[in-house]
Amino acid sequence: MVNEAIMTQDILADDFLTIFVSSTLVLVFGGFYVGIYTAVKVKLLKAWTMPFGYLFWILTAYCLYLMGSLMHVNELTAKALVVAAIGILLLPHAVYYMQDRVHEENEH
Amino acid sequence: MANSYLTSESKKLATWYFTVAATLFGAQLLFGLVAAIQYVIPGFLFEILDFSVARMIHINALVVWMVFAMFGSVYWLLPDETGIETVGIELGKLLFWVFTAAVTVVVLVYIFVQVGAADETSIWFIHEGREYIEAPRWADLGITVVALGFVANLFMTGMKGNRSGIVTVLMADMIAFAGLYLTGMFYTDNITVDQFWWWWVIHLWVEATWEVFVGSIAAYGLITMIGAHRKVVEMWLWIEVTMLFGSGILGMGHHYFWIGTPEYWWEIGALFSALEPLPLVAMFIHVLYDWGKMQGEESAKGKDVSVITNKPAFTWFVLNAFGNFLGAGIWGFFHTLPQVNLYTHGTQFTSAHGHLAFFGAYATILIGMMYIAVQGKNGIKVMNNTTSTIFATSMITGGVVGMTVALTVAGYVDVLVTRAQMGATWAGYFDGQSGAWFAQGMDWRLVMGVVTFTGFFFLVKDLLSIGKATHHVR
Repeated sequence: MVNEAIMTQDILADDFLTIFVSSTLVLVFGGFYVGIYTAVKVKLLKAWTMPFGYLFWILTAYCLYLMGSLMHVNELTAKALVVAAIGILLLPHAVYYMQDRVHEENEH
Repeated sequence: MANSYLTSESKKLATWYFTVAATLFGAQLLFGLVAAIQYVIPGFLFEILDFSVARMIHINALVVWMVFAMFGSVYWLLPDETGIETVGIELGKLLFWVFTAAVTVVVLVYIFVQVGAADETSIWFIHEGREYIEAPRWADLGITVVALGFVANLFMTGMKGNRSGIVTVLMADMIAFAGLYLTGMFYTDNITVDQFWWWWVIHLWVEATWEVFVGSIAAYGLITMIGAHRKVVEMWLWIEVTMLFGSGILGMGHHYFWIGTPEYWWEIGALFSALEPLPLVAMFIHVLYDWGKMQGEESAKGKDVSVITNKPAFTWFVLNAFGNFLGAGIWGFFHTLPQVNLYTHGTQFTSAHGHLAFFGAYATILIGMMYIAVQGKNGIKVMNNTTSTIFATSMITGGVVGMTVALTVAGYVDVLVTRAQMGATWAGYFDGQSGAWFAQGMDWRLVMGVVTFTGFFFLVKDLLSIGKATHHVR
């Protein structure tokens, strides 16, 4: 039951470093994406830097994929990781939209 | 220092709480240093102050100083948010002395008695043997009374005065915070059942109620320090509350992987733990957004001045946004899924995560609140950094980050040698502990611990003297 449900295959000793580095980079790249997006929106950065923000999100998604593959995650966890990747993509959009609306209502 | 600029009794009480919090912070660092030395020199203070005792005081002082600073923060902001003096302030003062006396007795017992007989008297009078919340039962009951009094003061003030969004969130959060403590008080003779409930205190504090508390304090800080719009900040606070409770409550599953609970916790823990970094990313956006927006508004008016009215406090608040993201987010995420947690659980990785997460998520913002109190106490309009501020901030932050990196390196040896290659056997444990990378990791952790402790002295010096500096705007 244990082997079938989650521990489908042990992690190879050589893969641990890649797993730790890629899972760290998930949030590092995610942080860059969110940071660049927000900084462009509040005009701390120029608009042309926005594509770099999305590039960082692609790297985030790739690192999630790499991490999940090397860990041999089961189907449900893989879906959770996809939801997390989409969540990181949408989060700054949703938050900025709501904050901006409230700002406008507050000021006008 | 005289309270000449403080007219509110609640704010005076807050400064008392901050003073005890800072003292306990020093005790936490001192006993952490003793434990760090014992990793490098195992015979250090052997049978005088063993590692188990030093570590116990280190982590209990951590929790208690933060609770003191949290109570202080609430007493500080209540008059500003509600527009009235805190209701029941005399009760609040009495409870402060009860709390301080109880903590003093408990710490003295930890140091001088240490252990007792294997019966109920030890649980009642020495300690309970539950990590982080080892207070003996008599103190547990006392803490419960103090917490109830604190919550009562908060509720009575919130109901009588202006109930802002921040106060409303704090009212709900603090009742959960106090209530959850009860789940770590009762005794069971089954270790799995005991751990199951114990995590309700620890996890639901640090990954739910404390994080919501941080959101509320960040909201208050952004309003008072950079003039952020209340409506924006409070709307954002509600989003944070939703996200934190949405992912944090069931994220508790990552503590239930290996303690004997049913296997469905693996799936629940994996799913919600994967989502837990999202609110931390969101909190990071929050600070950046408000800072950028308010600075942009000033720049648009042609004013090339900083919008920040308390630079030391704001520095700690920004460090909180980064530290929460790094310590709780990154260092938490990379060992949260059960597939990899099987190997990392209980290794030095956990310790690395614990150090950076507690510091980044909580210590930073609570130190920031201490600086806000110093500003108010000294009647300063715009408070600037001093040399001690810079030394304190950089040495404490650099020291904790350095400790975290050193523990991560040692943790990697733990994972690879002790767990992956040697299969979590005794032989594997000793192989891992004697490895060169592990030993050097512990050496560097000690060095960085000394750096942190030195930074603490600069912090104390700064908190005591910055109010008298002449380069502030008054």
